[in-house]
Amino acid sequence: MKILRSITFCILVGAASYGQALDLKHLDKLADRASNKVEVTLDGSVLKMAAKFLSDDDDPDSAKIKKLVGGLKGIYVKTFEFEKEGAYSDSDIAGIRKQLESGWSRIVGIQSKKDGDNAEIYLKTGGPDGGLAILCAGAKELTIVNIVGKIDLDQLSELGGNMGVPKIEVEKPKPPKKDD
Amino acid sequence: MSYLEDDLKMALRRTEPPEGFADRVLARANGPAPAEPSWWEYLLVLVRPPRVQWVALSLILSVMIPAAGVYRKERQERAEGERAKEQLVFAVHVAGNKLHRVQQKVLEMGRMDTRL
Repeated sequence: MKILRSITFCILVGAASYGQALDLKHLDKLADRASNKVEVTLDGSVLKMAAKFLSDDDDPDSAKIKKLVGGLKGIYVKTFEFEKEGAYSDSDIAGIRKQLESGWSRIVGIQSKKDGDNAEIYLKTGGPDGGLAILCAGAKELTIVNIVGKIDLDQLSELGGNMGVPKIEVEKPKPPKKDD
Repeated sequence: MSYLEDDLKMALRRTEPPEGFADRVLARANGPAPAEPSWWEYLLVLVRPPRVQWVALSLILSVMIPAAGVYRKERQERAEGERAKEQLVFAVHVAGNKLHRVQQKVLEMGRMDTRL
């Protein structure tokens, strides 16, 4: 009886945590059109296992990543690169946008006419756990990131800044010189 | 002491062999040599239980087989863990990179607004 209860509990918890992640299956149809495709699916147990293997002396970022993912329940990434522009349309990502309409709030939305890159950042507002969704739609690239759980955006951005992208240094106003 | 000496003398006293012993020994020595054991007799010797080597071998196997299973499982788990770690590092870097780029653009736009 106890075993049955435990199994039921595990199924319910699993279903609940699965439900918090975005359904990215809509994007599978883009795989045929893409020249490169990267997909990462790390849910609860795999994420914990991966975090265990991060040792502090491996890489300077390992300790930071370990700390960052401590409270997370899932990380899902899908990236598609296309050879030609216009390989996908807004209708291809409409399914993702629809999911982000309820329970999520868009904190940043950038539309660049210069390079055609659009980027949106959403934070999960509904539900007990936090969440983050990043939707980057470029002319030849589409990236969707979904993180389930509470995450420190500054730490995450800092890790991204180390990947070949220089860290942004915000200029601080200089204190006025005092004439003696 | 004397009892001990007496006992020794009794134990080591000269005794005559049974009747016909010498004839039997001579007949055996002059008779045909015993046949060489065939290959299957050698095999039979190997598989005849219980032998110390078989007991030792079974003990070694009973330790080695589960140990090999544990080692294999551990190795598989390590490989899966390493793969998951690589994926995690990649995913975090992709997410961080995208977030960082968005922040950069927001800052750039802010600077442009200030200049205008």
